[in-house]
Parts: sequence; C-alpha cells; structure tokens
Amino acid sequence: MVNPVISVKNLKKYYSVHQKEPGLLGSIKSLFKRKYIVVKAVDGVSFKIDEGELVGFIGPNGAGKTTTLKVLSGLLYPTSGEARVLGFEPFKRQPDFQKKISLVMGQKNQLWWDLPAWETFILNKEIYEILQKRFEETVKQLARMLDVEDILKVQVRKLSLGQRMKCELIAALLHQPQVLFLDEPTIGLDVVAQKTMRDFIKEYNERFNATIVLTSHYMGDVKELCKRVIIINEGKILYDGLLTEIVEKFAPYKIIKADFEKMVDKDKLIGFGEIKNYDGLYVEIQLSKEEVAKKAAKLLSSFAVADLTIEDPAIEDIIRQVFKKGTV
Amino acid sequence: MINKYLTIFKISWQEGLVYRLNFILWRVRTILQLLLVYFIWWTVFQSQTQIFGYTQSSILTYILVSAIIRAVVLSSRATDVSNQINDGSVVNFLIKPLGFISYYFSRDLADKLLNILFVILEVSLIIVLLKPPIFLQTNPNTLILFTLAAILGILTYFCIGFVISLTAFWVENSWGPLFLMFIFLEGFGGGLFPIDILPRGVFNFLMLTPFPYLIYFPAKIYLGHFSANEIFLYFSILIFWVITLWFLMRWMVNMGLRHYTAVGH
Repeated sequence: MVNPVISVKNLKKYYSVHQKEPGLLGSIKSLFKRKYIVVKAVDGVSFKIDEGELVGFIGPNGAGKTTTLKVLSGLLYPTSGEARVLGFEPFKRQPDFQKKISLVMGQKNQLWWDLPAWETFILNKEIYEILQKRFEETVKQLARMLDVEDILKVQVRKLSLGQRMKCELIAALLHQPQVLFLDEPTIGLDVVAQKTMRDFIKEYNERFNATIVLTSHYMGDVKELCKRVIIINEGKILYDGLLTEIVEKFAPYKIIKADFEKMVDKDKLIGFGEIKNYDGLYVEIQLSKEEVAKKAAKLLSSFAVADLTIEDPAIEDIIRQVFKKGTV
Repeated sequence: MINKYLTIFKISWQEGLVYRLNFILWRVRTILQLLLVYFIWWTVFQSQTQIFGYTQSSILTYILVSAIIRAVVLSSRATDVSNQINDGSVVNFLIKPLGFISYYFSRDLADKLLNILFVILEVSLIIVLLKPPIFLQTNPNTLILFTLAAILGILTYFCIGFVISLTAFWVENSWGPLFLMFIFLEGFGGGLFPIDILPRGVFNFLMLTPFPYLIYFPAKIYLGHFSANEIFLYFSILIFWVITLWFLMRWMVNMGLRHYTAVGH
C-alpha cells in the first residue's frame, strides 16, 4: 500500500491566551496580573490524505482549520500528537521539505508591495533554486492559466485584489510543490475571480497530481472542487468523507419550488410537505425523496403553476445542521 | 546559494529606488543633518583655535568622516524585523528555505552600499564647495585598521538592532526599546560630537559599552589619535562585543522562532 502524503494522528494544538477585563481599570490590572485561558485550537484530530487528493476543510471561524494547516506546513509546533507530510515532520522545517510544499493564505501576502510581481518571482526562483528554463516555463504556464500575463510587470500595489491573489498563487507555485495548502484563497474576491481561482486550483490538481488541502468559507469553493471534505468544529473533526455522502445522509429530502400564476391559499398547500417559504405566488416545500415525484405531479394538476423546479437542499443548510447537531 | 542573497540585494535596491521623491528627500535630510553639525563646529572655531584638544581641521575632518561611517554602519532594517514579526509576515521566512538572519543581512548590505555611494558624493561636494581644512590620512596601516573597525561596527550595529527587534517575538510592540537604542546611538555613538570631550570617567565607562565603537572609534582611528596600546585595548573590547552580541542574536532567533511556532498568531 502507498503511504499517504499527509498523515495526522491525534494532533493537538493548545494556546494560552491572556484575558483582559474590559475598561481602563482592566488594562491596568492586566499590567500586574494576567489571567490566562487555554484555547484548544486543534483537539485530537486524525486523518490521512493520499497523493493527488483535493480535500476541503470546512468549519466556522476559529474551528481550527488554519491552525491545522499551519501545523502541516511547519509554522506551528504541535502540542502533542503526530503530523507527517511527505514523510517529513513539518515543524523541523528542513529545506528538502520546504521545497516540496507551499502555503497560500488569502489574508497574508508575500509579494513585494512596491515592485512588480515579477520581481518576487525572481526572488523565489533563487530561494527555491529553480533552473532558469523551468522557471520561465512555469511562470508562462501559470500566468496563462490564470490570465494575468499582462500584469506581471505592474507594481503590485496597483493591482486589484483578484489580480494580486492570482500573482500570489503563482509566486507560491513556482517551485511546483507536491503539496499545497490553501487558506481561504478566494476570500474577498468577486464572483468572476472566484471562478477563475477555482478552475485554476482544479486544473493544477489534475495536471500536476498535486495534493491540495483547502479551507474556505465559501461552500461554493468546496462544492465545486472537493470530493472529500473534513468538517471541523471547536478543534474536533465532525465528519470526514465524501461530500455527496453527507448530502445523502443528512438530506434525504428534496425541495420543490413553484411559482403560481394566481394567488394560492396557504391552507390548500397543506399535505404536500413542510412549507419553508410562502408568499401567495411562490412556495418552497420540503419533502421526502420518495414522495417528490407524486407530489410535484399533484401540484401541477391542482394549481396553475407557472414554473416548478425540484432541487437538492442547499449544502450550506446541510453543513449548518451538522454543526448544530455536533456529530454526523 | 550566493545567488539567493545577491537577488535579495538587487531587489532591495529596486525597492529603494521606486519612489524618487522619497529617495531624494531622504538624501536631503542626510545632507542637512551633516551640514548642521558641520556649521555648529565651524562657528565654534571662529573665536578659538583649539577646543577639548581638537583643532578646527581635526574636528571638521571628524564630522565628515563620521558622516561616511554613519551611512555605512547606522543603516539597518532592524525595525522591519519587528514589524514583520508583529504583522505575521515572518511566516514567509518560516515556510521557505531561507535564512532569517542572512536575509536581513543581505538587505542591510544593499542599503549600506547604496548609502555609501551617495554619502561619498555628498561629502565630496561639501569639500569642493566649502573647502574645509580637512586632514587626509595616508598611512596604509591606519586605513586598514579604520576599515576593520568600520566592518566590526557594522556587525555590532546589526546585532544590536536585531536583538532589540527580536523582542517582538515576546512583546507586541518593540518600539520602546528601539527608541531607547536610537537615543543611545545619537548620544554615545559619536555622531554629533567626539565623546572624548566628555569627562574622563564617563568616557572610560562609555568605551566599555558597544556604542562608541559604531562611529567614534573608527573616526578617531582615521584621525590617528590612538596609541598602539589604546588600539589594542579598544579592539579587544569591540571584538568581545561582536562575539557576544552575535551569539546573543543567534540564540534569540532560535528561541524566538521556537516561541513563535509554539504560540502562533
């Protein structure tokens, strides 16, 4: 059996943070005596990721996603447990390891603000000891995939957020890392830029068989990119498996959305299913999968329906349920 | 390997030259600072021929030489270090196969080279325009010692700046200690006045600290004011400081990074 690229066993990362009482008096007090509380950012997490997988980390703010990524990329020393990436222990930060991984954080940048992105690329070329020919090919290829060929020589501060993130991504990928950690790569981007980023991540994963771990707030990112998701909350894993299975398991129901031509009394809709939304001319009904065909037909025959669609429940709603329930 | 640091060198220059106005104003500031000190001493010597054992020629030479030394020794990115630690961009080093100290040292050297080119130009201009009675040191041994002292001064200043900036790993803001350092530098480094005009006891005490070795010591070597014994004694103290500060810096980098990776941000 092939060894997994990433393996994490019972990983824990605790911080102690000092707490300040509110107000000026609290500030003065905290000069002399500090109260510390322990934050369990990651609390006994285990998983394995194989080569070429594209895995999504989902969870609310402070769930431990970023902390996990930081441990895996060698930025944080684990409190206990084991983390291995490509056979290395990340926190040792050996150059051989560092040349094989990359971390992109949507809210941090490595590009030199006052210079064109191109200059940062050249610096990274030297830092990672990339050969000239391969460097040129890689930049060309990545720039074409991201459609930023014409802005590489423009001062970074003059770029839009979307352009900058794309350049950040190129800078992080010049050394063709086998493992890529993406922390909120689409944060703050507009819909078009988000789409380009997603397409790129997908293509990069397929073309280079790179292992990618991605965190995101946008379910859209995860839905489109990741077959497998790891849902994490308060430092613990709630679910680790296929995204499609979580839909099956958590949402054995469908939603009928219907527009009526004339006002329909709410009372008349009772018996079709659970009414989620209603305003007289429009209704959303949630009902079990078995019933959906029959009830939809009945709806069409009973009322003057202008439009009708049958949909799966929104993935956001399902995830919300997972968090509410606390376990799968 | 060396390419890595050469590129850092080049990119630093480019960054420095991006904003022309900023760059020019910075040079203007340096020149004004130099002229200010120059004219204060020039005025003092209008009514006297010798003060504190200095002639007009030796003090004006001291001022001009110390301007050059200042440009080379007292230029540092130390404040960048603490900023990067505080805003978390230090992560960029931790994730890459790149030495933390060597990166900043390359950046500093780049600044220093740029500075020295300009300050030599500026000082030459002052000499041509104002024709001060300067003293030209011609003894090659003295000039070698002068260069050596300046190089050790560069290392000393680099280490001091770094050590103070590294406190950012533990405290959120290292501006307090940095500010204090700048005051010590200005007062006791010898940039404004040669510190041997201070009372003997104070002077002897200061010579035990690293500060006078940044400007005062090399400038006085240039003037040829030290005896062989003094040169030996002061070089010993200076080398002691370089070694001590170097190890302290290394230790703090290791501890700091360990602390950073343990605590996280």
